[in-house]
Amino acid sequence: MSVMEAGTPAAGIRGAAATSAETAARETLLSVENITLSFGGVHAIRNVSFEIAKGEIRAIIGPNGAGKTSMLNVINGFYHPQEGLISFRGQERRRMKPYEAANQGIARTFQNVALFRGMTTLDNIMAGRTLKMHRGFFWQCLHWGPALKEEVEHRHKVEEIIDFLEIQAIRKTPVGRLPYGLQKRVELARALAMEPDLLLLDEPMAGMNLEEKEDMSRFILDVNQQLGTTIALIEHDIGVVMDLSDRVVVLDHGEKIADGMPADVQANKAVIEAYLGVEH
Amino acid sequence: MTQTVAPAGGEDTFPKLLIRNAGIWADRPAIREKDLGIWQTWTWAEVLDEVRAFAAGLAELGLKRGDKVAIVGSNRPRLYWTMCAAQSLGAVPVPVYQDAVAAEMTFVLQHAGARFAVVQDQEQVDKLLSISDDLTDLERIVYDEERGLKDYDHSRLHPFAAVQETGRKTLASNPQAAADLDASIAAGKGSDIAVILYTSGTTGQPKGVMLSFDNTVISAKLACEFDNLTQTDEVLAYLPMAWVGDHIFSYAESYWSGFCVACPESPETMLQDLREIGPTYFFSPPRIFENLLTTVMIRMEDAGPLKKKMFHYFLGVARRAGEKILNGEPVAFSDRVLYAIGGFLVYGPLKNVLGMSRMRVGYTAGEAIGPEIFRFYRSLGLNLKQLYGQTEASVFVTVQPDGEIRADTVGKPAPEVEIKIDDSGEVLYRSPGVFVGYYKNEEATRATKTAEGWVHTGDAGFFDNEGHLRIIDRAKDVGHLTDNTLFAPKYIENKLKFFPNIKEAVAFGHERAFVAVMLNIDLTAVGSWAERNNISYASYQELAGLPKVYEMLEEHVVEVNRDLSTEPRVAGSQIHRFLVLHKELDADDGELTRTQKVRRSYIAEKYEPLITALYDGSKEQDIATEVTFEDGRKGEIKACVKIVDVQTFGIETQQEAAE
Repeated sequence: MSVMEAGTPAAGIRGAAATSAETAARETLLSVENITLSFGGVHAIRNVSFEIAKGEIRAIIGPNGAGKTSMLNVINGFYHPQEGLISFRGQERRRMKPYEAANQGIARTFQNVALFRGMTTLDNIMAGRTLKMHRGFFWQCLHWGPALKEEVEHRHKVEEIIDFLEIQAIRKTPVGRLPYGLQKRVELARALAMEPDLLLLDEPMAGMNLEEKEDMSRFILDVNQQLGTTIALIEHDIGVVMDLSDRVVVLDHGEKIADGMPADVQANKAVIEAYLGVEH
Repeated sequence: MTQTVAPAGGEDTFPKLLIRNAGIWADRPAIREKDLGIWQTWTWAEVLDEVRAFAAGLAELGLKRGDKVAIVGSNRPRLYWTMCAAQSLGAVPVPVYQDAVAAEMTFVLQHAGARFAVVQDQEQVDKLLSISDDLTDLERIVYDEERGLKDYDHSRLHPFAAVQETGRKTLASNPQAAADLDASIAAGKGSDIAVILYTSGTTGQPKGVMLSFDNTVISAKLACEFDNLTQTDEVLAYLPMAWVGDHIFSYAESYWSGFCVACPESPETMLQDLREIGPTYFFSPPRIFENLLTTVMIRMEDAGPLKKKMFHYFLGVARRAGEKILNGEPVAFSDRVLYAIGGFLVYGPLKNVLGMSRMRVGYTAGEAIGPEIFRFYRSLGLNLKQLYGQTEASVFVTVQPDGEIRADTVGKPAPEVEIKIDDSGEVLYRSPGVFVGYYKNEEATRATKTAEGWVHTGDAGFFDNEGHLRIIDRAKDVGHLTDNTLFAPKYIENKLKFFPNIKEAVAFGHERAFVAVMLNIDLTAVGSWAERNNISYASYQELAGLPKVYEMLEEHVVEVNRDLSTEPRVAGSQIHRFLVLHKELDADDGELTRTQKVRRSYIAEKYEPLITALYDGSKEQDIATEVTFEDGRKGEIKACVKIVDVQTFGIETQQEAAE
């Protein structure tokens, strides 16, 4: 499915997302069941279960060290849990490598910007399409005929993403020279270049000022609505979480302590004690 | 003076000109837009097809002769087509500044009574919907970019493509619709209102300037003849569509002479797009030329020593000989050779970087341009000229003819323009481009335009010995100090603003004992200076208040005083005290107009405590100012602003000062 065309079928999904009952009734895209992950004696995640419905924005919150990033790493196959089941699109998943997860349609951004700093915005996003390139090493080196045609097609997709995220002006700028807020946007662009079904965002707004946060929120909503991409995000800014997400799961010390609508979670006593109460 | 009569029947409106162009230049490019990183081009024949389809679609939606169509958005082919489509149906396009906040738009759309609005994207749709309760006339909104608008209530909203599609189908299936459209185009005549352009309103509410087809078509024709513009030229359309300059240069002149108009990919990519297109005909307010020069100079600071040396050496050669060569004056042979080498090593690449390699004619207007900046571009061999114009004149009042270019005049009367200066020093003109009147504002029309067709410019000026017009200030802004010395604020402000470190200046002095100014630093220039000198700062406010910045600006002010002291007419209006403002003057806060001109009276009111402090001798003053953020919310910033006394020069100390 192409990036832009994907918008059409997605419209209905978002339109139906209005009420909680409908959200719950929707098709599950990914579910994690009784996941336990430990490094030696340290339990990063203990017996956590939740599911992500197709087309929703799912926030994962919790105090520092709650196991949020570990959870993302489990989902995209970087860590392998000792116990528990992960199923993606209804299929139970075996132990797999991150690139296999990526091939299945799971893309992510990182807490600390992880771009190729010396490369331009365009090249960084093109790198996001590596898994979609089918011509082999020889053809790529030759850069002629079918390989060139393939690159042109990929470039077209990339240009659509550049247009979507409004980063035309920095197309040819080396990423290292960009301000932080824009680097984050380039990282999102690279993740989108994979045309994922599930997008994992690890603190997309960390270190941003108010205006950058507003922009990024707008783009996350646009990605969700226009492209129909399901999003799981980790975020510390509670205001952003409450505004953006359809449902919130709260982790504390590796355990799930709440799961539900933003407003319910905000009112949940355990959450206030564990997280909001301590922080504020 | 002979007056041009309206062109013959087939060429007196833009829809008719479009049909002519599609006939004689069917395969020549008419308009381009960069989309998904690639320049897309439409030929004149294709433009005709697009415009007709859209016009038919609008007719289906119920657009009628005499209706007003608001156009809101940045320069896009589809929005330019909208103008011609509306005109084809006898409706009047009303372009609106796209960065105006919703409240500002309310007035214009209400006043114009727009029934239709054609807008660029979700942002503009949201703006219009937020004020839709006040816009009782507005029935339909057509939008270009569909992104984000899918889930909106579409009872009044229409995607541009869908309207065009309906139009195409109607034209194909219903011969009567096609005939109606042809008849409607044929019914248009030169005296019809072609467009209503709202002036940015330096004072009070904006006024809707009605220009007829005769006004705009004849102005375009004369200008094209004056600068020999043909279908082979190319321009970049990047200035607001609501501004008369863009309307004449990117729309009227293009339809008249057939040249191609390129629309940038986004406002931020304008400089890159400029470089890719390499326009042959370029129009810009001075600030763009200033920004370009500042960017180049800052980049050169980072170049290697050899390159830097070469750059500055050849710029010296250009300063010495470049302008003379351009004007066709005699130049030493050695300088000619050096200039040719410089062209190869420096000027050529530099012009390429600036996107001016192919530039044949360039205009700057709207504000006075710094003589240094003006000379810099001319010395590179770029034919940059100044013009003086107004919305009410369909732009042209005076222009500088080739070979008679000077930084301090605005040139001679444009073709078929008569100019006179009245007793108070105000400039009046009469021309074929003179507007029909202000929309729904008889009183203002009478105050501006006399029964004989003379228009008051509101500017004070005089003709110099060579017949060139010099503008000194707004006629009503020219005032007097308490000792009756002439005080022309803009004259002083412009001198200050020619320093790259000073972005904006506001001078006070009318009915005061002496002249005092408020300055705005230029964040790019001063920021870069601070970086080079290892001066750290956390905010605009902090940078503006640094003692070292004050010292630097004081030197500039002293320089201006020295300069003023050499001119007897203005020597008395030297600057005695100044301060540096803690915030940037901004159109969102109402301090500047949308075309970035200072709104003096508003500033005087808003910063009243600072002005009092300028005149009561205090060394500093606390001030709290309201600011509007880009999303429309308001906040407050507080600051303690220092005030500095400056050295002034008497006429007798001039000798001393000149050393």
